[in-house]
Amino acid sequence: MEVNITTKGDSKVVKLIGRLDTVASPDVTKALEPIIEDATGTIILDCSEMTYISSSGLRIFLTLRKASMAKGGKVIVRSINNDIRTVFMMTGFLNLFTIED
Amino acid sequence: MKLKDVDRKALLRPALAGAALVIVAVLTLEGTSILQYVFSQKGLKEEASLRAESQLEATRNQIMDVIDQAEAAVRNSIWLASWCMEVPDSLHRVAERLVEDNPVIIGSTVALVPGYFKKFPLYAPYALRDGDSIVLKSLAGEEYDYPSREWFVKPLETGAGYWSEPYIDEGGGEILMTTYSVPIRDKKGNVAAVLTADLSLDWLTELVGNVKVYPNAFSVMLSRTGRFMVCPAETLVMHRTINEFVVGLDERSKEIDSLAKAMLSGKEGNMPIKYKGATSYIYFSPVERTGWSMSIVIPDAEIFGGVRRIGLWVKLFQILGILMIVLIIRSVFISSLKYRAMNASREKMESELQIASAIQMAMIPKIFPPFPERKDLDMAATIVPAKEVSGDLYDFYIREEKLIFCIGDVSGKGVPASLVMAVTRSLFRSFSAHDFGPAHIVQTMNESMSADNANNMFVTFFCGVLDLKNGHLKYCNAGHNAPFILTDKIAELPVKSNIPLGVIPGFKFQEQEVDMVSDDAIFLYTDGLNEAENINHELFGTDRVKAVLHTRRGSMEHLNAVDEAVREFVGDAPQSDDLTMLFIHYTAPDGKSSGKRSLVLDNVIAEISKLAPFVESIADEKGLDPSLAMSLNLALEEAATNVIMYAYPEGTNGPVCLDAVIGENSLEFILSDKGKPFDPTAKPDADITLGVEERGIGGLGIFMVKNIMDSVTYERSEDGKNILTMIKKI
Repeated sequence: MEVNITTKGDSKVVKLIGRLDTVASPDVTKALEPIIEDATGTIILDCSEMTYISSSGLRIFLTLRKASMAKGGKVIVRSINNDIRTVFMMTGFLNLFTIED
Repeated sequence: MKLKDVDRKALLRPALAGAALVIVAVLTLEGTSILQYVFSQKGLKEEASLRAESQLEATRNQIMDVIDQAEAAVRNSIWLASWCMEVPDSLHRVAERLVEDNPVIIGSTVALVPGYFKKFPLYAPYALRDGDSIVLKSLAGEEYDYPSREWFVKPLETGAGYWSEPYIDEGGGEILMTTYSVPIRDKKGNVAAVLTADLSLDWLTELVGNVKVYPNAFSVMLSRTGRFMVCPAETLVMHRTINEFVVGLDERSKEIDSLAKAMLSGKEGNMPIKYKGATSYIYFSPVERTGWSMSIVIPDAEIFGGVRRIGLWVKLFQILGILMIVLIIRSVFISSLKYRAMNASREKMESELQIASAIQMAMIPKIFPPFPERKDLDMAATIVPAKEVSGDLYDFYIREEKLIFCIGDVSGKGVPASLVMAVTRSLFRSFSAHDFGPAHIVQTMNESMSADNANNMFVTFFCGVLDLKNGHLKYCNAGHNAPFILTDKIAELPVKSNIPLGVIPGFKFQEQEVDMVSDDAIFLYTDGLNEAENINHELFGTDRVKAVLHTRRGSMEHLNAVDEAVREFVGDAPQSDDLTMLFIHYTAPDGKSSGKRSLVLDNVIAEISKLAPFVESIADEKGLDPSLAMSLNLALEEAATNVIMYAYPEGTNGPVCLDAVIGENSLEFILSDKGKPFDPTAKPDADITLGVEERGIGGLGIFMVKNIMDSVTYERSEDGKNILTMIKKI
């Protein structure tokens, strides 16, 4: 799994590439630590190239969401594929995030 | 012909050769030393002759000098004496002058023939040197009676000069003397007197006594009558004649007699004389006019002593040399004996090893195909020992439709390894007779083998039990190389290494399992294959093994192909280790896929990555929609993660097994572990309706499993396993 973080103004774009499974989660968590700690502004999770997510990945999303909410920020999940949308739906995550195409 | 005869004959030859060598060496050394001795003896003899003869000549010349002087002096006085006959008062002057003028002459007389002068019937004035002066005496005393003396008689008889027998002068200091006397005639030609000159022979004793041709050689001078004049034995001097001496000898011989005779008769020559075991060479020569005979006696030891001493040393060295040759030949002979004995015992050992090898090979199945009537199994195996006997083993047999097989490699090679191999094989047979659990079989074997392992031999071992009905393979690896499993690709069978047999008693071996589908094969081998070395010490390696296995063939063809590849690679390098291969090609009973797939994971998160290809292959086989595949993957990941994280106490290892049974309309996944009892289904579902703040971090996984799967059930099996069965309708 690859994580690319870019900053545009007060919004941060996190591009996730590949499978966000249990194996990848610890590394992704580590990569997102600075953003979780400073979850201000808008955090955009670009999922256009994310092919898979498991509960551990969802947990990272949720952690980020909670951190952002505490700081008054905002998390946008962008371009999830249908399979992941199904997972989001199944888990009620669709209601927790702003999903953008 | 008996073996012993052969041995004896075989031994005889080197013994004879050794003896011949010694004899030749002795003869050569002896021959050359004899030749050398003979030649040097001859040379020495010649040299001795030369020395003796020249010494004789020189001494004789010196004697003759004195003799000549004396004779000349006397001769020169004859005229004067003759003239003085007219004036008898002056006769003493003749004698005095003779002594005065000639230092060699110590005394002189003119002794008249008795009655020549009527006035003096006896008249003999005698001049005698006394220190520097000359004393005049008269010899005409009654008691001396000169007319009867030899010196007086002989010249008158012969009418010529005469040298008297040497004598000891009683009057003048016990010195050895000789007298030369000549007759004197008066003017009428009548014999009137005898003129004498007395010569001291002290110089002669000294001269002759000092003749030293060799340190221990000596000279002897005999008078005309054979009396000893000069001789080292002083008691003989003037007291004995040679004849008296010869008569008195302990060992008289003809040679001594003839020597005495020759010397007495004034002959010249040399003679070897043997006396009391010692030989002396005697060189003799006459002294003219005096009738004396001079001889030089050289003991044989004097001439040849040097060469004999050298000869002695030479002999000593020869003996040492021969001794050494004998010792060398002996040691060569003994070592050749030992070599023969060793050869014999080695041959015996080799033949015993061949028998051992044959016995050993008879223990393991060697007929291929081993089960010709079976359509579901094609097997082949080879074992190529590096030495006569092998420390490798394989074995297999079918019991209750299960193939029980093993492969093993005993540490070390040769006989000790082969004995352990035999033990291992029989333990395998006995412990697997009532047991289908490879781990249990291996564990029991390990207990047996490590209990009494004084020599610290160990065995890497792989034991498998293949259920021929469904292709389910249970296996346990005890430190052996991972076998290859040939499915649609070639991969190493995942193995836990555990530890080799015989190392630690009480070790808990872990069992693993995998499902083989129709046409899958398993290739087991010992490290003699991948560690086969060529002359550049490069290893054959598993990649080359894989490359050869890539083309699917019959089992025996596979082994032949691998064998050929190894041989080609190794070339002329010697085989360093036993090489054993076992190939098992499984065909499901219905000829189709068994419909069952298995995956065994270690309880570490990284193992989760294996799920995706596993699900993928099932999805491929069943032609599943990728979204379904993904959600199956997700469900299995969540379920497996749960087990990996929570089933086994932290820090301990345990297997997480996932079996997939692929049915027509459903997929059944069975996740099992031997961890602590845990029922994930008992957990309340996560409440997905909660908002962000209220949402917990956990509980999502199992919730998703339940969501994705059509049925999720948990059971705790009797043998202590958590079994989670998940069914998905398709």
